[in-house]
Amino acid sequence: MTTIVGIKTKDGVVLGSDKRASKGFFIGSKIVQKIATIDDTLAVAIAGQLSDAEYIIKVAKAERRLMELRRGFPLSIREATRLIANIAYSGLRNYQPYYVELLVAGVDREGAHVFAADMSGAITEEDFASSGSGSPIAYGVLESLYNKDITNSQASEIASRAVSAAMERDPGSGNGINILAIQNLQKEAVA
Amino acid sequence: MSESQNGNRFPFYGPQGRLILVDSALEAVSRGSTTIGIKTPNFAMIASQIKPTHPLMEPSEKIFPIDFHIGATGAGYIGDILQLIDTLRLESQKHRLTYETPIDVDSLAKHLSSFLHNYTTYAVRPQAASVIIVGEDQTGIQLYQVDPSGTFFRGSGFAIGQASETALDVITKGYSKDMNLDQAVELGRKAIEKALGEKPIVETGIVEPGKAFRKIRTDNA
Repeated sequence: MTTIVGIKTKDGVVLGSDKRASKGFFIGSKIVQKIATIDDTLAVAIAGQLSDAEYIIKVAKAERRLMELRRGFPLSIREATRLIANIAYSGLRNYQPYYVELLVAGVDREGAHVFAADMSGAITEEDFASSGSGSPIAYGVLESLYNKDITNSQASEIASRAVSAAMERDPGSGNGINILAIQNLQKEAVA
Repeated sequence: MSESQNGNRFPFYGPQGRLILVDSALEAVSRGSTTIGIKTPNFAMIASQIKPTHPLMEPSEKIFPIDFHIGATGAGYIGDILQLIDTLRLESQKHRLTYETPIDVDSLAKHLSSFLHNYTTYAVRPQAASVIIVGEDQTGIQLYQVDPSGTFFRGSGFAIGQASETALDVITKGYSKDMNLDQAVELGRKAIEKALGEKPIVETGIVEPGKAFRKIRTDNA
């Protein structure tokens, strides 16, 4: 269930999600927050088992803080995604998979990144990605509207349209949209 | 209590409150081969004296590649050095597995520091080896020295081993931020030569931005 989308833009990344939590054919909640911010530069959109996702994010958050304190600069988005994927993979190998499909998006010194990470432990970097039961519908919208030169505000509009299209036809998605945009880091002035 | 009464306490702290086992390890390091490290914003190099052996024996390697972008050397007991080098290599690869990126030199030095510190808290023999690490990471060119106590230093010039004060003196006086690689290699060689009072055989390792750590051998020139 769920529809989540992530879009890389020329000035950052945008994440979008619906707000429905399904319990079989019953709507368990209409106000679920499926976009979790890890810090100012990194966020994760969640599809799948919310409890599993919350746990992985909690661990990733702690590891990320620890690493930044220890080495003096933060994990890159790829490093953070690999960390999350490793947790997912260890679950898979122990026959207790974390039932999640995550979009990890954020900005680092190299720029903006959107990664798709799932319970298999694989990660792929994408320009845009979608996940959850509504993703085939959302992808249709993303494929026709996305281009590499869009801004965060244009991408917020596209994300919102992709999720609402999915909410129209996917019974697992609905009850409103959440959007999160993260701006690229300011380039340090070269002395 | 009975132990402390006859002044024969468990062998950690001496009467002056110093860790005598660690002091002994440092003493062993200061008898090791003269080893130096120099860093500028554009490169870093490490160099170590290779002790002359008899003609039929190959001298031991003293400059060690740790990962693509990092190298290290050490002074002290070679067996201990090799053990520490392997620890560094292992940690570098662990980082690549966990984060899919090369490790930063600071994390590596801190790991070695805590590894060595462990040996100062139990009734074991502290490692008789100081290690100098060079590398390039997101924060630039890096140079670290890590001592048997677990103390580590970051800086632009270090010397350890036999007559290291003399060697460090030469480096301090001859150091300039703007010197080029050849000048630094020459300065390192001179520092070791002054410390030993004779022409040494020196093995050198170099780190430059974007390039792999590499070794050169400057024989008795």
